[in-house]
Amino acid sequence: MGRLDAYVCRCEKVTLRDVERAIAEGFTDLESLKRRLRVGMGPCQGRYCIPLLVSILARKLGKSPKEVAQPRVRAPLVPLPARDLMGGESEG
Amino acid sequence: MVIGGGITGLATALNLARRSVGRVVVVERGYLGAGSTFKCAGGIRASFSSEEHVVLMKRSIELWGELSKELGFYYERGGYVWLLTREEQLETFKELMSFHNSLGLPTRLLDPDELGEIVPSLDTSRVVGALYDSLAGKASPFEALHSMYLEARMLDVEFLTHTEAHRLVVEEGSVKGVETNKGEIAANVVVVATGYGTRKLLETAGIFVPLENVPHHALITEPYAETFKPLLVDVSTGAYLVQVKYGNFLMGVEVEEEPGAEPTPRADFIPKVLRVWSNWLPWLPNTVVLRYWTGYYVMTPDKHPVIGPTGVEGLYVAAGFSGHGFMMAPVVAEELTNWILEGKPRTEQASRLTLSRFAEGRLIHEKIVIG
Repeated sequence: MGRLDAYVCRCEKVTLRDVERAIAEGFTDLESLKRRLRVGMGPCQGRYCIPLLVSILARKLGKSPKEVAQPRVRAPLVPLPARDLMGGESEG
Repeated sequence: MVIGGGITGLATALNLARRSVGRVVVVERGYLGAGSTFKCAGGIRASFSSEEHVVLMKRSIELWGELSKELGFYYERGGYVWLLTREEQLETFKELMSFHNSLGLPTRLLDPDELGEIVPSLDTSRVVGALYDSLAGKASPFEALHSMYLEARMLDVEFLTHTEAHRLVVEEGSVKGVETNKGEIAANVVVVATGYGTRKLLETAGIFVPLENVPHHALITEPYAETFKPLLVDVSTGAYLVQVKYGNFLMGVEVEEEPGAEPTPRADFIPKVLRVWSNWLPWLPNTVVLRYWTGYYVMTPDKHPVIGPTGVEGLYVAAGFSGHGFMMAPVVAEELTNWILEGKPRTEQASRLTLSRFAEGRLIHEKIVIG
C-alpha cells in the first residue's frame, strides 16, 4: 500500500505527490508549476490551491512564502457566463 | 548559447543537443515560456498565402508529428476550417486552394453537409463556403515546451532562467558571449530568439531588426465535452476559436491596437469575440468564461520571420514570427541548426527569410494573419 496522498488542487485533481515530482523535475517557480500541473487553472482560479502551492514550494526551496512570487491574476476574477459578457442586448 | 526560453529557443537547443555540438546553454529572463509561447492558441497550419510559409510549415507539421510521438505531448491534426460568408471571399479562397494544392497541401472546399459533419452544432445559415485544411492541427503549448525542456535536460542542456541578457559581446566581427544581470557568459555561437526583445539585444551589436510589438487578446471558457476538432476561422473578422486538449474553448479576435502599446485588458475585446462566435455557435452564450489574457504578435514589415545569420560571425537570429512562432518552431530549429553547423539553410525557402532581405528589398508577402 502506498503512502497517503492529498489533493492540492481539487479543480484539476492535482496531488501533493504530483507537486513534489514537478519540483524535482526542475519546475521551481509558481508560474511554471501552474502550467506544468494546471494548478490554479480551474474554476476556483487558484483561490484555494495557490496558497497551498506557495507553502509547499517555499518549504522545498527554504524560502519564506513572501519570496515565492504570486502568479499573475487574470480577469474575470470569478468565472462568468458568456451571455453576461456580450454587452448590450445579446441574441443568445 | 540560445537566448530566449520560448518554443523557438527550446526547439533549437534540443536540436543542437541532439547533434552533439558540445555545451548548450539556454538563457531566459523570466520562466520558460513566459513570453509569447504560453500566451498563444497552439494552432498549427500550413494554409498560408506565401510559398515560404506553406513549404516551411508543411515540414514543421511533419516534425510536430515526430516530436509529439517521441516526447509524448498532446498534438492533434484536427484541421482548420476557414468560414466564408461572402462571394468574393469564396473566389479568393478558391485561388488560395489552387495555390496550396500546387504545393502539395491538400486543402479543399467543404459543401454544407460536410461542414455540418466536421463542425457539428455550427449554424451554417450564413455560410457561402468553407476551406478545409485537414493537415492543420493544434498542440498544447505548455506540454510541448515542458516536454522539450525535460528532454533537453536529459541531454545536458543547461538552463539559466530569471537571467536577462543585456548586451552581446562582439569582437572583430565575431560574437564572444553575452553580458547578463548575473555576469558575462562566453559563447562562440549565440542564437537570439527573444521575441520583441531581439530588437534591443541585436542593437547592442549594431544590428537593426525591424520588429514591432502588437498586442493581441484571447479568452478561454471552462472545459466542455469534445464538440469538434478543427480550429475555426471567421474570415470576415479574422477571429479564431479552438477547443483545446482539456475541452476549453479558446478564442481571439483582432481589436485595433497601436504597435508598441502596453497589452492592457480591453473592455471591447470580450463582447466582440463572444458576439462573433455566438453568431456561428448559438450555444456559446451558455458557456462560462474562465480567463482573459493578452500577448504580443511580434511583426515584421512583410509578416515573415527573420531566421538565420546576422553578419556577425557566430550570431544568429530567429524572431518576428508575426503570430506564427509556436507553429513554426520545429522547422525553425531545423533550419537554424543547419545554418549553424553547415553554414547554409536546409531549404531555399528558408534562405529567403534572412535579415538581409530588408536591406536588399526582397520582401515577401503574407495575406492571412488571423486573431
